Amino acid sequence: MGDLLLNSYEIVYLSSEVITTIFAAILFTLSLKLLFGWDINRSTKEQYYLEKVAYLASTLALFLFWVKTILYIYLVYTLDELSIYIAGAMCAAGVVSANSYGLWLLGIKAISLFLLLLWMVLNSYDLEQKNYPIFKKKIVLLIFISLFILLEGWLNYSYIVNIDTSLPVSCCSTLFGNLEGENPLPFNLNTISLIILFFLLFIAFELSLLIDSKLTTLVVTPLFLVLSYYSVVYFFGTYIYEVPTHNCPFCMMQKEYNYVGYILWGTLFFGTSFAIIWASVALWLKQEYRVLKKLALILIAIFVALNSSYFMLYYIKNGVLL
Amino acid sequence: MLNNSFLHFLALSFFTNKKRFSGILVVSFFILLLLSSTLFISSSIKGSLKKSLNYQPDFIIQNIKAGESFVASSRWREKLLKIHGVIAVNGRVYGRFFLDKKISFLVIGIDFFSKQTNENLDALVNKIDLKEFLSKENMLVGASVKKYLNSHYYKDSYNFLTPKGEFLKLNIYKELPNSSGLVSQDVVITTKDLAKKILGLSSNEVSDFALSVPNPSERENIRVKIESLFFGARVVTKEDINKKIASLYDYKGGVFLILYLIVIFAFSLILYLRYTIATSIERKEIATLRAVGWSIKDVIKLKLLENLTLIFISFSLAIIASYIFVFIFDAPILRAIFLGGDSLSLNLKFKPYIDYGLISTIFIIYLVTYLATTLIPIWRIAISDPKEVLR
Repeated sequence: MGDLLLNSYEIVYLSSEVITTIFAAILFTLSLKLLFGWDINRSTKEQYYLEKVAYLASTLALFLFWVKTILYIYLVYTLDELSIYIAGAMCAAGVVSANSYGLWLLGIKAISLFLLLLWMVLNSYDLEQKNYPIFKKKIVLLIFISLFILLEGWLNYSYIVNIDTSLPVSCCSTLFGNLEGENPLPFNLNTISLIILFFLLFIAFELSLLIDSKLTTLVVTPLFLVLSYYSVVYFFGTYIYEVPTHNCPFCMMQKEYNYVGYILWGTLFFGTSFAIIWASVALWLKQEYRVLKKLALILIAIFVALNSSYFMLYYIKNGVLL
Repeated sequence: MLNNSFLHFLALSFFTNKKRFSGILVVSFFILLLLSSTLFISSSIKGSLKKSLNYQPDFIIQNIKAGESFVASSRWREKLLKIHGVIAVNGRVYGRFFLDKKISFLVIGIDFFSKQTNENLDALVNKIDLKEFLSKENMLVGASVKKYLNSHYYKDSYNFLTPKGEFLKLNIYKELPNSSGLVSQDVVITTKDLAKKILGLSSNEVSDFALSVPNPSERENIRVKIESLFFGARVVTKEDINKKIASLYDYKGGVFLILYLIVIFAFSLILYLRYTIATSIERKEIATLRAVGWSIKDVIKLKLLENLTLIFISFSLAIIASYIFVFIFDAPILRAIFLGGDSLSLNLKFKPYIDYGLISTIFIIYLVTYLATTLIPIWRIAISDPKEVLR
């Protein structure tokens, strides 16, 4: 219990997370105040003060977004560093699976980052209009975000305190690779059909963004996200590691592979998030944020190009496929 | 509004308000300097220990009695060699020779004619002239040992007092090169027979056994076999040692980090006060900006950028300074905390070992606490009513 609490990375991570949790609590109370006290038609002193509070809330959200993004990267790095203390762990995958909180923590963190991104877009839309048309809705979203971050705070603590360094965990090859002949891919796909589908969905994704088809984007993006995960872990990853049996989403974030995992997962996460936010905001508010669309197009293109380059370079160098 | 004139304004405000910022800059510089120096030292030591670990044997087998490691019988060797997968068994002779309660040498006895278990040693043995070395009772000494002997007028030999009460005179053949860092500082290397005499071992005893098991997937199995073969044996693997070293220095670094967290929080309290009780001049400045048409958002942005610039300047200055302090001047006062003030191993240079993870660690904790403490006070200044302030 709490074996790792004196590790430098862990101390810094936890204390920074404590600060963000405190800010989330502040944000929560501010949002409640705004939700119940806000009335744009009144011109009282309170309303004037609440408008100033709204500035604070948006600054806090911006602060939380940046700090959370940095801390997410830092957390994955920390988990990699911790893998030497835990018997059996070779990379972050083993450390994450050291107890049941690990995966939840990573998932909730990704969701709250996505919601913060969405909130910043909604906020900038709201501020551009004259009479704050979606003010209450965006505050409700903010309440959800702060609740998510508070949940994260609890998960952080429970996860790290409950890592038992004496209990052996499974390494990534056991978690992802060695399934005793069982097919790990969804919809009973094989690797070739997975890759064909991956590239088809990539083309569909880029086309739907280019021709401004929002509904198609909303349908294609989640599918692309899921298939990308499997393609990277079960196909492109093997070319990154240059080992046919090594299937792991975490090892590629290590120094041996030039930290390429951070770029891969980062571009995938932000690219798909931007696409979804662009499409849903355009459908809902009839306002197009072309920057988001461009960013989504570029990031996903980088993601696919990087994956394919590993595959092609391997083929050019060795003349065979894995 | 992040355009040229905005940045120009930011730069101007720095130059006109030098006094206001220099205090914070100096204090945060020193806090970061101390923090990063300690962490640099701890990671440098960890780095050089890990490097020396690469040359260690895969397994060490100790004879345990009453919870302590005792000398093992050299008859174990035959049994160990019979285990499949073990390719080399080497009975090692080493131990601490105490001159008084505090100062000790690490005496290592090696067989000069066979391959050494430690690659550092192997390279060393290849360099010396064996015929000359073995013709007399000679020893090789580490840099700290040499320094100690010199200062006690043992210029070219030393008389070891063995546990049997006899004196054994060994000539200093050569000083070990300082390249191998921490581990070779306090060693005395001689032949196995002489080392056994100094340490008081009888001729059929060794300190422990070093095993070489080339196939990593066989190691766990072999470990179990050895433990069932010799009931009193303790098997220490390379990974065990690695983990121990890492957690020991993490522990030291971690305790320091917690102390510095307290310092950083105290510092953030000062920052908080500084921004809540902003001077009337600063308030007037902001009121004027608001009066000429800046929005609350712009003022917050200006103040945040001001802080970010301060953070970057103090951080990069502190990292450069601590690099010089630790790796060029060898951390004059702080080193004693990590190495122990009275040990012999003080005569070493820290190897530059840049851990980017560590630098980002220092940066993150500083950035987050700094911004977090100033965020709300800045907002309070920004929303103050310009009319009230200017009146």
